[in-house]
Amino acid sequence: MVATAATSAFIPVPSPSPDSGAKATAKKLSNLGGMKSKSAGSSGGLQVKANAQAPPKINGTSVGLTTPVEGVRNECETSSPPPRTFINTLPDWSMLLAAITTIFLAAEKQWMMLDWKPRRPDMLIDPFGLGRIVQDGFVFRQNFSIRSYEIGADRTASIETLMNHLQESALNHVKGAGLLGDGFGSTPEMCKKNLIWVVTRMQVVVDRYPTWGDVVEVDTWVSPSGKNGMRRDWLLRDYKTGEILTRASSVWVMMNKKTRRLSKIPEEVRGEIEPYFMNSAPVVEEDSRKLQKLDDNTADYVRTGLTPRWSDLDVNQHVNNVKYIGWILESAPLPILESHELSAMTLEYRRECGRDSVLQSLTAVSGTGVGNLVNLDDIECQHLLRLEDGAEIVRGRTLWRPKYAKNFGTLGQVPAESS
Amino acid sequence: MLKVSCNVTMDQIALAQCGFLGRPMPLPAFTPRRKAAVSGRPLSKAPVLAVVSDRGGLGRAIVSGSGSLADRLRLGSLTEDGLSYKEMFVVRCYEVGINKTATVETIANLLQEVGCNHAQSVGFSTDGFATTPTMRKLHLIWVTARMHIEIYKYPAWGDVVEIETWCQGDGRIGTRRDWIIKDCATGQVIGRATSKWLMMNQDTRRLQKVSDDVREEYLIYCPREPRLAIPEEDSSSLRKIPKLEDPAHSSKLGLVPRRADFDMNQHVNNVSYIGWVLESIPQEIIDSHELQTITLDYRRECQHNDVVDSLTSVEPVGDAEAVSKLQGTNGSAAGMENKEDLRRFLHLLRLSGDGLEINRGRTEWRKKPAR
Repeated sequence: MVATAATSAFIPVPSPSPDSGAKATAKKLSNLGGMKSKSAGSSGGLQVKANAQAPPKINGTSVGLTTPVEGVRNECETSSPPPRTFINTLPDWSMLLAAITTIFLAAEKQWMMLDWKPRRPDMLIDPFGLGRIVQDGFVFRQNFSIRSYEIGADRTASIETLMNHLQESALNHVKGAGLLGDGFGSTPEMCKKNLIWVVTRMQVVVDRYPTWGDVVEVDTWVSPSGKNGMRRDWLLRDYKTGEILTRASSVWVMMNKKTRRLSKIPEEVRGEIEPYFMNSAPVVEEDSRKLQKLDDNTADYVRTGLTPRWSDLDVNQHVNNVKYIGWILESAPLPILESHELSAMTLEYRRECGRDSVLQSLTAVSGTGVGNLVNLDDIECQHLLRLEDGAEIVRGRTLWRPKYAKNFGTLGQVPAESS
Repeated sequence: MLKVSCNVTMDQIALAQCGFLGRPMPLPAFTPRRKAAVSGRPLSKAPVLAVVSDRGGLGRAIVSGSGSLADRLRLGSLTEDGLSYKEMFVVRCYEVGINKTATVETIANLLQEVGCNHAQSVGFSTDGFATTPTMRKLHLIWVTARMHIEIYKYPAWGDVVEIETWCQGDGRIGTRRDWIIKDCATGQVIGRATSKWLMMNQDTRRLQKVSDDVREEYLIYCPREPRLAIPEEDSSSLRKIPKLEDPAHSSKLGLVPRRADFDMNQHVNNVSYIGWVLESIPQEIIDSHELQTITLDYRRECQHNDVVDSLTSVEPVGDAEAVSKLQGTNGSAAGMENKEDLRRFLHLLRLSGDGLEINRGRTEWRKKPAR
């Protein structure tokens, strides 16, 4: 795709070409014209000549420009071995190909400089924030700017936004490492064996939520988890200040997507992914307290009739993991949401659901009980997301801190920041 | 310039400015600086930096001549003549739907984002509501009246799209904002959109004519000659949308707004309505077709405890002809095809309880391209 656009931006050959090779090619092509008319079925060559001399339109006609080139390439592949007498009248295809490649590369370079005006040096490496591998190949880093529609009611990025960024950076890591088999984080060997990763556990700790316009730098890496699991960690920082905003850690196991049974990591897959495993401690200390299962009696708040919308579904028409968090919070009591912000969350994923599922979200407030919600202490809640028939989808625990708690703590630091 | 979110009181604007990091009140030392930033800024094209420095949290207001980091890294900017704004976006994995391509809601969100950023970059209401200073003084806000989006080719995960947007006056009472979406890699236009906005007094909730002083404030940023993303002859963006007949062919009842649907003023985000409209499209259309065009007329706002019904019917071709054809089918919405193999539907969103109309819509669907 890039090469295509490069061509459209670069040709007409005669005027802006800095590459003398290209001019030579143009002459050569015009010579070709005469020869080509003799041989049969080589309209590709003729077309190349014509286009080289005519300045093409840029909009949407890049397809037209590629076709003759591809025609040339196809000719090359099929014209072997030609009869001896024929060879003498054929143009030098290898020279032609080399020239075309040079044009493409030069054009790509020029296109990159024209259209992207990098404002920072690392923009050249990662202009669209697609991420890159850092730190000896183990850590993947990607920047996200918080968009206006990603912020919640209190003008900060919602927890769903942050989780979405985690998901995106994880996929881009797999892609950047060249291990993307099918677009869902399955490596090529996994695809062959019908294996997929499923998340079983997620822990997130938020120190500060970013706001609209902030740029968040996400670092992510993988480590082994037990014999047959994988752990993926994330560290989110404010790009400008380096302040740590969020830490997250997740555990994944392998499952056969046909049988839906858990699987050991096969040797071939191990060979693919082990080179990328770091051996670091989890970025979030594991909260090993058991998550209790709520029921109608133990829950303080219940929200029923939750149904997935089209936009909640992924390609397999399963609900995206991140959406569960939104549903969990649906039954969180409004007073807590208004006075507190989510500071930590532990989730255990048990089952997935699809388009036709109808879910219920249950919440129980630990400790102080329902009567004393508006206070200045941290609040802990237990959660359950289940289907109407009782089948569990997600169990969770959340910790909430008062929204303005940090202010009182950091009063001393604020004036320094303002200079 | 254009409101992209819903109502906001003056208090909330001030609060938003001051309380950007979630604090309820500004610390006294910083209040004067912030208030000056809110009200007295002279409008001009040049100082992108000065404007943006007001938007962030503490500390950014002081950085002179450099703007916020996001602004420097932002992949968007005013075009050279200052009359439109372009920005590039990469499609993220979670913005992609069942077709492996961006959903129409993603596109709508990006349109909203770039509209916001345009208003920011020319210095209008730095809190993101795109009101001119005079409007703020008079408690006026923009409300969306109509949104029309056409998508010719949906981008996939990792694709980069460039969206250009501009606005201009639209008669005496409204403004319009137009967008063109291009695929960065090919330069092809993959979508177009237009929207109509009206001015409303946020206290009385009554529509108001755009006064001359307001018009002057934003007209300097608009193209001088009418520039339409969708040329006039292709007027489905202007066509009136009839109310669909009862009973509808297909429906989804009892839709409830989620927390994520609400903006900071507890009104449902414009884009959420699109999701609701799509909820009552029959499964067989979703499986075989993709959305080509959607037109939505916004009539009434939806609040927290409202419950919404989404209704869909096949759009009648012509009066008598339509009736006989409809009676011929068994009422299923997978009914009529027209010459171009497009399926056309009419939509209605209404409150469950009293049936009050929230939105009217029309959609066109084309067969999914073979992959």
